[in-house]
Amino acid sequence: MTAAILTDLTKCTDCGACVLACQQINGLPAVEQPTKLSDTAWTIVRQSRGVSIRKHCMHCLDPTCASVCPVGALRSTPEGPVVYEESRCIGCRYCMLACPFDVPTYEWHSAHPKVQKCSMCFENRVQYGDQPACTSVCPAGATIFGDRDELIGEAYSRIAAAPDRYVDHIYGLEEAGGTSVMFLSGIPFAALGFATDLDTEPYPRLTWNILSQVPNIVGIGGVTLAGVYWVISRRMTLERLNHGLEVDEEAEASRRIPENGGES
Amino acid sequence: MSRFWRLVFWTLSALFAISALIRFGGGLGAATNLSNEFPWGLWIGFDILVGVGLAAGGFVIAATVHIFQIKKYEPLARSVVLTAFLGYLLVIIALMFDIGRPYRIWHPLVMGNPHSVMFEVALCVMLYTMVLALEFSPLVLKRLNLKAPMRFIHAIYLPLVVIGVLLSTLHQSSLGTLFVIVPNKLHPLWYTTLLPVFFFLSAIAAGLAMAIFESFLSYRAFGKRLEQDLLEGISRIIVVLLAVVLVWRAIDLDDRDALHLAFQVTPESVMFWGEMGLGLILPMLLFMLPKIRASHGGLFFAATLTIMGFIINRLNVSVTGFAQSSGVNYVPSLIEWLVTIGIVAFGFALFGLAVQHLDVFGPERVGKSELRIPQLVPTPLRTIPGKPLLGLWALLLIGFVLMGFTMRRPAEGTLAAGADESTGVATAHTPARVPLSLIDGLEFPMAEDSPGVVVFDHDSHVDFDEPECRSCHVSDFAIVHDAAVPSAPMLMEAMDEGRLCGRCHDDETAFGVDECELCHEEE
Repeated sequence: MTAAILTDLTKCTDCGACVLACQQINGLPAVEQPTKLSDTAWTIVRQSRGVSIRKHCMHCLDPTCASVCPVGALRSTPEGPVVYEESRCIGCRYCMLACPFDVPTYEWHSAHPKVQKCSMCFENRVQYGDQPACTSVCPAGATIFGDRDELIGEAYSRIAAAPDRYVDHIYGLEEAGGTSVMFLSGIPFAALGFATDLDTEPYPRLTWNILSQVPNIVGIGGVTLAGVYWVISRRMTLERLNHGLEVDEEAEASRRIPENGGES
Repeated sequence: MSRFWRLVFWTLSALFAISALIRFGGGLGAATNLSNEFPWGLWIGFDILVGVGLAAGGFVIAATVHIFQIKKYEPLARSVVLTAFLGYLLVIIALMFDIGRPYRIWHPLVMGNPHSVMFEVALCVMLYTMVLALEFSPLVLKRLNLKAPMRFIHAIYLPLVVIGVLLSTLHQSSLGTLFVIVPNKLHPLWYTTLLPVFFFLSAIAAGLAMAIFESFLSYRAFGKRLEQDLLEGISRIIVVLLAVVLVWRAIDLDDRDALHLAFQVTPESVMFWGEMGLGLILPMLLFMLPKIRASHGGLFFAATLTIMGFIINRLNVSVTGFAQSSGVNYVPSLIEWLVTIGIVAFGFALFGLAVQHLDVFGPERVGKSELRIPQLVPTPLRTIPGKPLLGLWALLLIGFVLMGFTMRRPAEGTLAAGADESTGVATAHTPARVPLSLIDGLEFPMAEDSPGVVVFDHDSHVDFDEPECRSCHVSDFAIVHDAAVPSAPMLMEAMDEGRLCGRCHDDETAFGVDECELCHEEE
């Protein structure tokens, strides 16, 4: 099973329970209505066109953040959630630059900064079989937890049952190669400020295509360079043998030509 | 060093030290204008991308002299290897400033993630710095007159050069690969999967331009420099490289249907032309003129342009190209500038020291008398007429000022609003009323002297049109279910103190807690 969250934007009543639950379970400051993700706001509810939209980590199936992290501080768990191991992190912020959803945030004012983001309550709940705090408290049933495949089935049946109510698209089904957090909406996602120009292939493939060539470059390049050296050395030796000292003297003479004199 | 320059150096050092205190004491937020929206700035764009790139001359000349065995360039090898070595040391210092936890800089070595471009760069930079230290060591060993280590270095020199070339090829290009993962964020004028190729080629051109640049400066400062025919030779290589980059980038832009973006007036296109026009096409044309190539001043001017074009390119890829997608206007903070300037000044000082104390430019071939030029007194440019060059410098200055002005970005909000309306989607959207499923009939634990059980209903507490979870679920009643029901009985004393139910049931906000039967069920 892949742990996943489906948020139905047509059901959200903006009560803020998910935000509150997130703050309480993670010991974050009880800010009333955070509007931007930050190191102390791992989930928010933002407003666009009268719709209340949850935002938090999308928990990509093939996460960009985990692929770019030089020390493996971010990783994908077999259960699905993408988690962060603080003790590895060097604070390079490449995950923040690379994340197609702009999710990871940084403790900018700490001398020992951590990267912060939603972990789908993996460490304290999901790995023990519980659901995340946010979905457990949603009174409207707008954000629900379950197996990804089952939630996709649920989403399709909701769209089929009320085609007037929903846009025919599950956001997160294919975006960035598929995410564990998915959305249903009554208004086109582009109009709500969702990133809709994302690739449907996982992003890590972009750099892996290049990075996987490294052994080839080392192997072929190394042999070629050594070969070039060998050939040129041999030719120079032969030249010396054939022409004796004359050549050497000429070479020496050409070196002594003062500046501006020798055209290369 | 003259008194003036000494004063400048120490002032910069003091400012640098203060900046370091702020950075390491208060974190990146206290020192920089970086944000969650703009996580990489000047330190990555200039100190690292430019720093590594300008040091590329090291491996190019090492390959030319030792692998292709074009021995003519041997005198050049020392100064570029020195530049490269110093460059990488400075890059590592800059890295310590930029990464949040510099004391973990060794983590990539033991926790490496082979799928990460950053890991590959880190590994190559670390190994190559060691290679450069070894390649550079003969100069120091010779000075100290150490024979045995010298023989050892000579024995391993060729493999060392080969490894250095491979490592450089990998990480010079990988710095470009770093940005291949952000196709939706980096502006199409710069985003391409060919970034590694362009980074590699432009680094070679800039690294060679650095050799010309340094030769000129050290001539001014110390009267030591490289021979003109060597500099002329590398200027021809630069022309070829710049031409290849120019043509290839144009083809690539056209392939991606992004060429037209260069001909619209946007902050991005202005920066693009700053990079391509002033920093690539102009120096390429200048280097092609025999008159320029014959003049030390002309070569210096064209090399400076090449380097500036390179700097603008790296800043465009790392900063300008993200302005639009990030939605914020990032301008480096004073401290970011001070650290950067401090590191550059440190580099110049180290290079100066090395030129004075080590045999960096090889045996001097020019007559001694000609070299006795007063330190740091500019001599008039020879061979090439001064006026056209002066005009070019002035033009460049004006160009940069103009560029600065056009970089002021119109407020993002107005653009976004306009774009929204064009989609023509209904703006009104009220979620259909869904009955909230809230826990009802919740029995609170009873105290011994309780007159009867209290059963809690959300129904009588919540305005279903505007649920305000926070009015109760803040401290006493956690919202997460498994912690919501207090395990210990709730005592009336606490309520009288304004806690638990007493937060609201105080006879003012809601009825008070004096009458038992309002809440407690009769037995």
